Amino acid sequence: MNNRRTEPAMATFLHSRGDQLGLPIGGNFELTARCNFNCPMCYVNLSQADVDARGRELTAEQWISIARQARDQGLIFALLTGGEPFVRKDFFEIYGAMKAMGLLVSINSNGSMLSGDILQRLLEDPPFRINISLYGGCEETYRNMCGQNAFERVITAIRALKAAGVDVRLNLSITPYNRKDLDRIFELAMELQVHVKASAYMYPPIRVNGDCGHRLTAEEAAEAAVRWDQLRLPPEDFVQRAKNMSKLICVEQNECGADLDEGVSCRAGRTSFWITWDGKMRPCGMMPGPEVYPLEQGFAPAWEMLRAETKKIKCPSACVGCKYREVCSVCAAVCVTETGRFDGVPEYMCRMARATVRATQAACEERSGQIC
Amino acid sequence: MLIKKELLKRQIAGETFLVPLGKTVYENNGLFLLSDVGAFLWDRIPGADNEETLVRAVLEEYEIDEKTAREDIGAFLDKLRSMDII
Repeated sequence: MNNRRTEPAMATFLHSRGDQLGLPIGGNFELTARCNFNCPMCYVNLSQADVDARGRELTAEQWISIARQARDQGLIFALLTGGEPFVRKDFFEIYGAMKAMGLLVSINSNGSMLSGDILQRLLEDPPFRINISLYGGCEETYRNMCGQNAFERVITAIRALKAAGVDVRLNLSITPYNRKDLDRIFELAMELQVHVKASAYMYPPIRVNGDCGHRLTAEEAAEAAVRWDQLRLPPEDFVQRAKNMSKLICVEQNECGADLDEGVSCRAGRTSFWITWDGKMRPCGMMPGPEVYPLEQGFAPAWEMLRAETKKIKCPSACVGCKYREVCSVCAAVCVTETGRFDGVPEYMCRMARATVRATQAACEERSGQIC
Repeated sequence: MLIKKELLKRQIAGETFLVPLGKTVYENNGLFLLSDVGAFLWDRIPGADNEETLVRAVLEEYEIDEKTAREDIGAFLDKLRSMDII
């Protein structure tokens, strides 16, 4: 199993070309805010009552219309996400139409509804990729974090998808509820032969209630991230990572695929967009803005406006010049969700970066017996 | 000639790609990049009785000598056959 960052070379090429030409190569479609789980740290989950109070979900026809307009502008990689997208009864109407128009459609799901007819229909017309959020390594963790016993159901679904030949990846959000399960989750991933993308950093859920009480402290998050690095990396690579960290030089690209500069230097608002369940288009799903309205404005003018607004975003100059910059995962979305401002220094991330360097060096020295 | 897989031709960022549809995703999960001549041939494969038809079409459309055209078209079709696309 390769647990390093993976992306097809063609995707990298297309995003690079798209950046030069101003094209929306990747699009995230948040089909619903509803979910059959009730995870306390979720950045989007709303009850049916909240959805009713705050607006309404776009119809299948509206999603398909937006996707078609985006396709005409260059969209190729589409991600259907939520909430839990399979709670929509018309999910396959949207999914089928988007595939038929020539998009490579991926799905984010918690995996708990992938059985019976839903699974069968998915296997009949498989996605480019399905990303399953794995919340723990046992039923107890699922009960505590998601509110129900879904662990076995999810693992069964992953096995079925893998057996059929579907490209499955796992997303792992490390929280106070599941950090004790890391070793078990890694064992499972090895057994299932699936790539895991883990994150110990949780954005403040400002779109829901802003309650950060369900995430790890910065220092705990760093410890968990380093533990995951120890699990996923061969020993010699972990030692090299520690040595690079001690020099504060680049250890791995940050997860958005670009280093921080004064503006938004990842793909958000440059070659990718996010459309919320109620039809607002933003650079990324974590950002509260800038936002445009493709249903009212038409996709092409809205995209142009979003690109222009994204270019105005300035990140903190203190971050750009910080000696920890190469080992820190700060980005525009982190800044604005942590501080309310794009140019605000996210103190939580500063602490996490420093603690990650310390914890990596300590783990390296403990493991290898040498100064890292 | 028969195209056996569900592949949709698309222009993206100034290039021509084939995008897999339906169950073709299981065998070919990614994009195929076509050259200009490859895209020209792809459009004509379903209506072509044989390789000779494609050679004639290319010689009419492009300034290329017949020997090179035959070799290139043969290589292109061999590639498609090796992937069980035609």
